[in-house]
Amino acid sequence: MKVYRAISILVIALLLTGCEDKTTPTPHIPTPYIIDIPFGFPTELNIPIDNPLTVEGIELGRYLFYDGRLSGRTHPDSLMSCATCHRQEKSFEAGIDHPKFPGGFPFGISGLHTHHVTLPMINLVWNKTGYGWSGFLYKDNPNENMRNLEDMVRLAVLAKDELDGDTTQIKELFQSIDGYPLLFEKAFGSKEITFQIIEKAIAQFIRTLISSNSKFDKYMRGEEQLTQSELNGFVLFTTEEGADCFHCHGGYGNPLFTTHLYYNNGKDTIFIDPMDRFSISNDPMDHGAYKATSLRNIELQGPYMHDGRYSTLEEVIDFYSHDLKQSPYINPLMHHIINGGIQLTPNEKTDLLNFIRTLRDDEFLTNNEFSKPLKFPDE
Amino acid sequence: MRYSIITVLIILSVIFMISSCCEGNIEPEAQNGKLSIEFVHYNNGTELIFDSLAYTNEAGNNYLVNEIQYFISDVTLHKPNGSSILLNSWSDIHYIDTDIKETKTHTYRDEVPEGVYNSISFTFGIDEDKNQSLMFVNAPESFMFWPENLGGGYHYMKLNGKWINEIGLQAPFNFHLGIGQIYHSFPDSISGFVQNYFGVNLENEPIIIKNTETTNIKLIMNVENWFSTPHIYDHNYWGGDIMQKQDAMQQAVDNGNDVFNYTIN
Repeated sequence: MKVYRAISILVIALLLTGCEDKTTPTPHIPTPYIIDIPFGFPTELNIPIDNPLTVEGIELGRYLFYDGRLSGRTHPDSLMSCATCHRQEKSFEAGIDHPKFPGGFPFGISGLHTHHVTLPMINLVWNKTGYGWSGFLYKDNPNENMRNLEDMVRLAVLAKDELDGDTTQIKELFQSIDGYPLLFEKAFGSKEITFQIIEKAIAQFIRTLISSNSKFDKYMRGEEQLTQSELNGFVLFTTEEGADCFHCHGGYGNPLFTTHLYYNNGKDTIFIDPMDRFSISNDPMDHGAYKATSLRNIELQGPYMHDGRYSTLEEVIDFYSHDLKQSPYINPLMHHIINGGIQLTPNEKTDLLNFIRTLRDDEFLTNNEFSKPLKFPDE
Repeated sequence: MRYSIITVLIILSVIFMISSCCEGNIEPEAQNGKLSIEFVHYNNGTELIFDSLAYTNEAGNNYLVNEIQYFISDVTLHKPNGSSILLNSWSDIHYIDTDIKETKTHTYRDEVPEGVYNSISFTFGIDEDKNQSLMFVNAPESFMFWPENLGGGYHYMKLNGKWINEIGLQAPFNFHLGIGQIYHSFPDSISGFVQNYFGVNLENEPIIIKNTETTNIKLIMNVENWFSTPHIYDHNYWGGDIMQKQDAMQQAVDNGNDVFNYTIN
């Protein structure tokens, strides 16, 4: 009798164990997100091995990018997110008409102004030569926490002149918001939120912000013709005897419209900015050098230069035309310095401006996939 | 019957073994090595110091070099008997950038038959069949694109620096080579293009390739020679940019013939 009882217990235990196995949820595998490489664009992408793009990760990143609670606060006056400064309609830059930052000069929750004006978040999945005006985040940085977009997210959250947040407080806040833990689980396999995962999700979303359908892109693909003035401007843009923009800002052979490299472009004669390229490279030739920004959507991205000294593109073209400043550190590509600038006539300035405006990508600026979600997970 | 089968098997085995031995004797395994090139840049016989106004060219221009970026292609080793081997199994175009360490040494993937080679040749730049726009979409090669309206394809070289001009100012120069233009009326009307790539053939000392070994050579660009022999190149005359000045680029091409030499490491 005892034997029968023992066998029964064993059978039941075995059955229960079997049931337990069947009810264990299989780990969620997020859906890979593949970037379609636009015509002429680089095939090499800056996507870290430990943060591959996934549909679920990008979706989560988009919520976080726009959610003002990323500041770690809930009071309406203390909300701040990436999108506070990086507005889609301004090519993910602040823009000179920013409702909160007069003149496009951002300041953080604490009221402190950022050291430099914002850079646009556009086509950064192809940026491999550092982030920020000085390139202070870069691949081989000895400091492992200062290397990529993921780090940029954390630094922006912590910075006094930006979100001035506390990573523990932020992750705990999102842990408590209905809907978010499930999104984290779908994207990263766990409902437990860490700040590192927040960084990853936002970086994933930013890497999808791709602009490749401007009028000039269509011209490159043979789908649209430029006007005569735009063509004249294109020739000026890509000739040394013209405006010679292309060596730093690309063109047909480099449709990113930037090299993502750093140049002293002749703005000053005295260099006292502690956050120029020299501060990173220690190369004396990098005094007063800053990242060449992409000219895609540039007409929307004022104020211009690292310190926002120019409000309009017309002012920028006037500067390059007549107001270059000689110094020992000016980049050799600025060969027009010897004449004080590229010396464009009024008509040439108009043509150049008209060409630069062909780099505006309205599809990018209004793409719903990049826009603020209609509602947040807890709404 | 059983013994017959065994006998046949033994005979077949012996034939197979002999046949294997004979095959080994007839076709010995290929004896191959590799070639690796280190790209170095000299001025007046010593390694170039970048950003230093330590140099004076034959025209008397005091100058500095900030960076050099260029392509060489179709590297070929030649034997005294006239045979040669083109090193192109991975890529026949190599980019060198003085600011990018990884580009300054290149080990060709080609298996090079062992032996003594008495010269090495290459194309400085890229020939017109290969020099097609958008063939390099990734950096840094893509940054070398040559505008479509000026002939397209890629710069052969960007040698950027500064010189002290006639009025004592540091003036930038962009000594850039690529496809030249023939202007009907400058700068608006181009009636033709000029391919400015050129061949370089060097015969300094024997290059010995040994089986399973990598032979290292140092390819030296003697920067000062870009500005001398046969033409004395004067920055004050040509100014800071030459992409649209075929006469200046032609001088560079002519001067380029003796810019390179090599040594065996």
